[in-house]
Amino acid sequence: MGLFDILTGKRKMKAPAESRLFAMSTAAVTLEMTLELRSSGKAAIVFQPLATADFSAIVNDMEEVLRGTGEDTGTQVERTDDSFGYRWMVLSDDDFEDLVVGINVVSQALQDGGYGERILCAVFAFRDAQDQPVYWIYNYKRGSYYPFVPAGGEQRRDSERELRLKAQIGHELPVEPELERWFPLWGIPI
Amino acid sequence: MPRPTSFGKDTGLQLRMTLTMFLLGLVYVVLIVALLGAGASGVTVALIAGGFALFQLFGSDKLALRAMGAREVTPAEAPELHAMIDRLCVQADLPKPKVAVADTRMPNAFALGRGPKSATVCATTGIMDLLSPAELEGVMAHELTHVANRDVLVMTLASFFATIAAYIVQFGFFFGGGGDDDDNPSFMILFLVSIGVYIVSFFLMQALSRYREFAADRGAALITGRPSALASALTRISSGMQRIPQQDLRATQELAAFYIFPPGVGKSIGAIFATHPPMEKRIAALQRLEMQLQGTA
Repeated sequence: MGLFDILTGKRKMKAPAESRLFAMSTAAVTLEMTLELRSSGKAAIVFQPLATADFSAIVNDMEEVLRGTGEDTGTQVERTDDSFGYRWMVLSDDDFEDLVVGINVVSQALQDGGYGERILCAVFAFRDAQDQPVYWIYNYKRGSYYPFVPAGGEQRRDSERELRLKAQIGHELPVEPELERWFPLWGIPI
Repeated sequence: MPRPTSFGKDTGLQLRMTLTMFLLGLVYVVLIVALLGAGASGVTVALIAGGFALFQLFGSDKLALRAMGAREVTPAEAPELHAMIDRLCVQADLPKPKVAVADTRMPNAFALGRGPKSATVCATTGIMDLLSPAELEGVMAHELTHVANRDVLVMTLASFFATIAAYIVQFGFFFGGGGDDDDNPSFMILFLVSIGVYIVSFFLMQALSRYREFAADRGAALITGRPSALASALTRISSGMQRIPQQDLRATQELAAFYIFPPGVGKSIGAIFATHPPMEKRIAALQRLEMQLQGTA
């Protein structure tokens, strides 16, 4: 935001940054080979559903497209609304590449409809050798990923593990540099 | 048909705000000239007031929080509030502010701090009990917009010279009455100019504050995509406020400018004195946003 924008109190929603979503396709291979993190076969995209007619139409069309392509790729689609009023489109597919493509279909449809700023994030779920969940969250506004590892128990996260993951993945993923923007996401349903 | 954003622009609001700030600057130039004209005593007053303003900007957060009986809460203590603010911060592309809760039945919320990196947002237990999650989300988005717009910084800077003028008006007799300064005509002029600046800048600042409230309401609607939820929160808070006895509210007047809703607003206070726009106007503005969103505007 420029000085003039601050002075006049102008707020514009930040549009999604240039998409680096697909960096996950290659990084997932490294995650599995060297870090023993397997995909849980699920990924999700989270957005604010607006109560307008054209927004519902866009979401319905997009869901139909997904189900259509899902017949070839085997991707399953499921939608749930959480207690914060956000909608989760949960995709299930054993082929990780298809998950990334499916997530991109959703975000692209919302952006083409002019609602790109309503997307909160995308979540890719992994499981470690002990079958504990490890998540990589993609922040569309910043075009960056960050790890999120719930530590069990109320509102606990394993920050040490997250920081180690950041070091381990190195430059294969665009990782969010500002740690205060590694926002937790509790109650991830995947 | 790709659309760039869900909401249109509000050029009128931007223009009014720019004009107000321009007029405020103009008034202050007059004061600066008078200060310089008054020589040493004028510059001294300016320096002292500058020191106070800096202290206010850098040191007042903790004091203000304590004055409100608020304290910072960890995610474990207020999980839902934290999770809500986490999500709003992602949407608004802001770093996470400190989160505080004030244990009082008065339904209100406010933001402190000079910039996004040092900000604190605070909600009272009263507002958390009163509002539904979607309404509370609108209120917290309003406060986060204050943070993003750096309203505390802007208003402190905007009030800087008004504060100097106020000092001169209040202590004018001490300065003027000191020995041979009695017949100092330049100080007499400064004193009169200060009175003028004080009065004019007061009204301009109240206007500026009201415009920034509109801007914050608008920002909140942009972040949440639910203008009507904030409108419904405002009606609910205002009817809640009227049930609270006046004594409780008097002690909190200084912070009024950064509240979601000002305490102790009576019908006797004219609109021009108010730091917040009237409720009906705020709701009407939010309804226009909802209409833009629905594509019926």
